[in-house]
Amino acid sequence: MSQRITVDPITRIEGHLRIDVEVDGGTVKNSWSSGQMFRGIEEILKGRDPRDAWLFTQRFCGVCTTVHAIASVRAVENALNLEIPINAQYIRNIIVTAHCLHDHIVHFYHLSALDWVDVVSALKADPVKTAALAETLSPWPRNGWREMEKVKARLQGFVAGGQLGIFTNGYWGHPAMKLPPEVNLLAVAHYLQALEYQQKALKVVAVLGSKTPNIQNLAVGGVANPINLDNQTAINMEKLFMMRELLEEVRTFIQQVYLPDVAAIGAMYAPWLGYGAGVTNYLAVPDLPLDTKGTKFDLPGGTIFDGNLAGVKTINSFQDPYFRDNVSESIAHAWYDGDWDKHPWDEDTVPNYTDFDAEKKYSWVKAPRFQGRPMQVGPLAQVLVGYASGHELIKKYADQTLATAGSIAKTKLGPEVLHSTLGRHAARAIRAAVMADLALKHLNLLIENIGKGDVAIFVPPTFPAGEQRGFGFHEAPRGTLSHWVIIRDGKIANYQAVVPSTWNAGPRDEKGQKGPYEASLIGNPIADAEKPLEVLRTVHSFDPCMACAIHTVDVEGNEIARVRTL
Amino acid sequence: MIPAGEEAAAERPPEANVAVLGLGNVLMGDDALGPTVVKVLEAEYEFPPGVSVQDLGTPGLDLTPYLAGLRAAIVVDTVRAGGAPGEVRLYRRDEILKNPPQPRLSPHDPGLKEALLTVEFSGSGPREVLLVGVIPAGVETGVGLSPAVQGAVRSAAAAVVTELARLGVAPSARAVPDPLDLWWERT
Repeated sequence: MSQRITVDPITRIEGHLRIDVEVDGGTVKNSWSSGQMFRGIEEILKGRDPRDAWLFTQRFCGVCTTVHAIASVRAVENALNLEIPINAQYIRNIIVTAHCLHDHIVHFYHLSALDWVDVVSALKADPVKTAALAETLSPWPRNGWREMEKVKARLQGFVAGGQLGIFTNGYWGHPAMKLPPEVNLLAVAHYLQALEYQQKALKVVAVLGSKTPNIQNLAVGGVANPINLDNQTAINMEKLFMMRELLEEVRTFIQQVYLPDVAAIGAMYAPWLGYGAGVTNYLAVPDLPLDTKGTKFDLPGGTIFDGNLAGVKTINSFQDPYFRDNVSESIAHAWYDGDWDKHPWDEDTVPNYTDFDAEKKYSWVKAPRFQGRPMQVGPLAQVLVGYASGHELIKKYADQTLATAGSIAKTKLGPEVLHSTLGRHAARAIRAAVMADLALKHLNLLIENIGKGDVAIFVPPTFPAGEQRGFGFHEAPRGTLSHWVIIRDGKIANYQAVVPSTWNAGPRDEKGQKGPYEASLIGNPIADAEKPLEVLRTVHSFDPCMACAIHTVDVEGNEIARVRTL
Repeated sequence: MIPAGEEAAAERPPEANVAVLGLGNVLMGDDALGPTVVKVLEAEYEFPPGVSVQDLGTPGLDLTPYLAGLRAAIVVDTVRAGGAPGEVRLYRRDEILKNPPQPRLSPHDPGLKEALLTVEFSGSGPREVLLVGVIPAGVETGVGLSPAVQGAVRSAAAAVVTELARLGVAPSARAVPDPLDLWWERT
């Protein structure tokens, strides 16, 4: 007897995502991913000054603010063929890395750890045993028994006050929860500490961006941060050293807490290294440019098809036609007028809502494709592309994390286990470690370059008459983001953003190929249809953030899952 | 500067811990209410040291760092509640947490309540919280407030000023207001 489960909404943060799964014999047999809100914010950009576009695009989503600002200035610069000063690249790169560190930490500890950690079980933990266990995992100084006792007391107080609302989506006591009480307590302690470290990363964004969450320092042509080592309001030595100190603290947290935690959870939930692979075509774009034009990068980009790492093909520049010419979006199963598959420059966004019909149209999210294939984007895509193309830092942290998890699980784990639900979490932690090193590297590059007397930050753009087409990409925390702009006589004629959650959450295309969320759920076990924790685990592992994928009001029910027997 | 967790209270001078936080998406019609009120307050008032006035957009759970370490938070936002568009509703901390008024209509419902609980769990939550809510007429893609909500901007701003006075940090009105910069309404 099969059952249909509808999970709605599935995101803990912005936006509304509905997932439908068909379950038979305790296993998911079919699935549909549906964005429940209309997206059409790009229409607001038409007719505006391209120099202002980034201010508007960073308001697409309140969580992924900086990433839309970065992609937007890159798109306009690409249209104008404009090279920006190297200081501007470094300053943008430091913002990109710091924002990413904040985002990856928040995602793991505050948005998805509760899928694996049973908070209430932590109340049964022995703080002394917890500290002893922690010592075997990491030299982190804040794992002592006094700290654990304090955390347990705080949790007791919170539960006694009936304030478990914060953990509402955490199905405590669920049969799929497997961690011993001590590991749960350690995770709760790190949940609290992670709040401090994500804020330290955010502080770096604030120093350079002058405000957060919406930064103010970008410009088409560079940045607006004056560099003057003797001036209080400019970028000066005091600010540079403060950023270094903050980034070093965050790096220590990632190396001594985040990576070991993910390795331990991966080892203790080893079966989840076998579920959730789904689409094993991967797409990442290169980022952290090392030159003014965007032809050398510190983060790798490229494509992998059918999980074949040996066949990796790299994307090599901000101008690379391999990326530019191969992206399209299909609306065969999305609520838009028509039935087409178009390049982003040629798209329109005309809503045409019909009811949820799994056979026809069922989502507000379009289905992006690369050479007609669905692609998984996100930290896993970048880690696999880097692993396959011999990226040193990625290889180092990936091998280290797999070795740690393997030693806890008493087995040997290779990169193939990364094609999975927990593999996505591991990849995010690996990427965070890489980013922490690179954040400090780019801060040093900036300091060195200023030391040479170069304080250039901006090249003024000029807009010729006629039409220019540009694209700008950015490897955002949730994966490949691209903005596509057509400028006509100095005004925006068309604008499209193809965002990471669209790549991953998109519906089927005209050939019936499932999107990554949909494909990843097939074969997942479901222990209790009323509490489909396993669905949440797999979907949350992608770090869904639907606000920029789609927009507008939706009526939200209080129930999380509806179950009916087919 | 953004406070960092439990250190926040120590980092700030004792009086420096009141924040006015405008929430909402400026590209979503009436959802621009919070950012608009922030701009009006900035143009018309000077604030004593330790009071920060910020447009935070739609941060969802990323609201947490902006609440950490505060003595008092005044949040301005659209709310889903029974009533006519443009009505101003005030909610105190316990009402927000006990009987959730669905403080967001737009795409980030979990924001305020979850963020408040998170900072409370970390031991750095503000003791005083006031949500100045306005019932929207429409939250759809587009720039500009509806007439009903436009009409509520003044009362919402006044409610913020009253609360600041109650907290002992009343702002002073500028003799000549600064120009109002609603950049998102520029064409």
